[in-house]
Amino acid sequence: MNNRVPKSVPAEIRASLFSGHDWIALAIVSLTFVIPFTSTNPQVLSQTNLILIAATAALGVYIMQRLDLMSFAVPSFMAIGGYTVALLSMKLQLTDVFVLAAAAFLMPALCAIPLGALILRLKGVYFVLVTFVLTEIVQLLLFEAGPITGGSNGLVGMPAVKIFGMELWDNPHVLLTTCGLAFFSFIITSVFTRWFRSEFAAIETNDVLAESLGLAAWKYKAMAFSVAAGVSGLAGFALVNMLLTAHPSSFAPMSSVNYITYTIVGGKASILGTLIGALLLVSATDYFALSGEMSPGLFGLLIIVVTMVARGGVVGVVSGLLYRLAGQSPSLKNGDHDLGGNGEKGQ
Amino acid sequence: MESFIATGLIGISLGTQYTLLALGFTLIFGILGVVNFAHGGFYVMGGYVAYYCNVILGLPYPFAVLMAMLSMAALGWLFEAFILERVIEDHQATLMVTMGFYLVMATAILMIFGAESPQFPFPVTGVWRLGGIYFPYANMIVLGACLAAIVFVYWLVYRTNIGRGMRAMSEDLPVASALGMRTKALFPFAFALATGLAGGTGALVTPILALAPHVGDSVLAFSFLTVILGGLGSVTGATCAAFIVGLIEAYAAVYLGGSKGALTLFALVLIILVVRPQGLLGREVRRS
Repeated sequence: MNNRVPKSVPAEIRASLFSGHDWIALAIVSLTFVIPFTSTNPQVLSQTNLILIAATAALGVYIMQRLDLMSFAVPSFMAIGGYTVALLSMKLQLTDVFVLAAAAFLMPALCAIPLGALILRLKGVYFVLVTFVLTEIVQLLLFEAGPITGGSNGLVGMPAVKIFGMELWDNPHVLLTTCGLAFFSFIITSVFTRWFRSEFAAIETNDVLAESLGLAAWKYKAMAFSVAAGVSGLAGFALVNMLLTAHPSSFAPMSSVNYITYTIVGGKASILGTLIGALLLVSATDYFALSGEMSPGLFGLLIIVVTMVARGGVVGVVSGLLYRLAGQSPSLKNGDHDLGGNGEKGQ
Repeated sequence: MESFIATGLIGISLGTQYTLLALGFTLIFGILGVVNFAHGGFYVMGGYVAYYCNVILGLPYPFAVLMAMLSMAALGWLFEAFILERVIEDHQATLMVTMGFYLVMATAILMIFGAESPQFPFPVTGVWRLGGIYFPYANMIVLGACLAAIVFVYWLVYRTNIGRGMRAMSEDLPVASALGMRTKALFPFAFALATGLAGGTGALVTPILALAPHVGDSVLAFSFLTVILGGLGSVTGATCAAFIVGLIEAYAAVYLGGSKGALTLFALVLIILVVRPQGLLGREVRRS
């Protein structure tokens, strides 16, 4: 039985695979490929690295938000991806970037399948709690499984990754690797969320009704959870590649709050929101570096303000303003502004 | 055998502390349908208020505990009335604002008191001995205070009109409102009661365990464990689960060592969430 609902979706909308926001996000990520070739400033290179890793990790939250699920599991899957890469490169001397990227995506994605079968029956606060508990368990396992993970010392001294036999060891090359991983993650996320946008929208609106109308909600939830895990794994790869160390503290459970914040503050309705959120907040953290301890409080204030007065986040507010300036009335609910390929809502 | 009994006493002591934390947490979920990510923040801030009153201002410790409870109750009231109330219908928004408020609280503590853990000793020292069984007086006092607070909460929830009103709202909010329950007053009251309990627990417990700006993270995690195990929204379930968690933690720390006890608990809770989301004593899954 074909459980998708292609008949209800006009072919021309299905054909416009990427929305306007997707194109803008992909263009911005593409532009970052220029930075390793044009800048040797360590600050610029490091900052771009951090922004791209944050944005890639936040994609895991964004994908699950398409199903109205708030996931705290991003650091868990980042850890699986990151440690997989560290183990492959240190124990098996596998350093080819393509092989490592495939492993960093597939390992968390495969782990997510049985996990998803167990926990995707839950929704609302129960899903939030189970993903939070899962992240705590993974963190404890990283400490307890010392022979494999190095315990509290982590895995130190990873060799540099290679592309076509060439070592990507210095700062610009490390950034180049991150750019590639981020671009790949944004492409996967854009294609995946846009291709199944009507199914995801149906589940987000009312999963029980969608299921009663013949949509196999569990299938789409499992796919989304798996892809979100894979994308998070790629962020984990980029993180351990930047640090040349896989350490449990890099995947602390509370770091999931940061990824959620990037998504919400940027705008959870479009992929551009995660990128803008990461860009603004990672830059703000750097800007406030002199009083670095203030940045969590700043995050907290931003979360409260955005949740209360601008549910659509930065992208939602700007899109709303653009609609008004253009004299259109999109009549979209808060947070769902999406200029789209043809100005349609990302549905 | 003596070690086994002494560990059991520590476990019961931990259980009473977790009960106080979990009661507040579960009251908020049961009545408002909100998972309060700021709960650990109220605990830590209560500890710091007590530290400020007792160590910096030199006020008596019982007064410092009272101040911690009242100030956290007031802060909780204000937070519910002016921030949470505006987004109460949207469960994701309530998660976000409580999470944001926790970050603001943790940062405020860090800015005011610094990252260093302050010296905040319990005013009573000494150990009670019976044969080979040792039990610190501090733990006995905290145990007694926590038991008194638990009895007070039970009396309030099950024997007063306010408690009946709160329970009615947790059962069926629309019907309770139609019958004249004033949600505008009872919601902030329930929230203030819960945060006051968290603040009081922080004031009582942090001199024994630890006082630092980020201890709220682990408190939040253990509050989650307890209420999930007992059943979100179930007062009796939370109480039973708190003692189970306290005993498992104490025995695991002594007989297993490391973080295996915490790992066991988290794994147990994960299984419970998957096979019985309503917990041990919860009656139904509430979709907040």
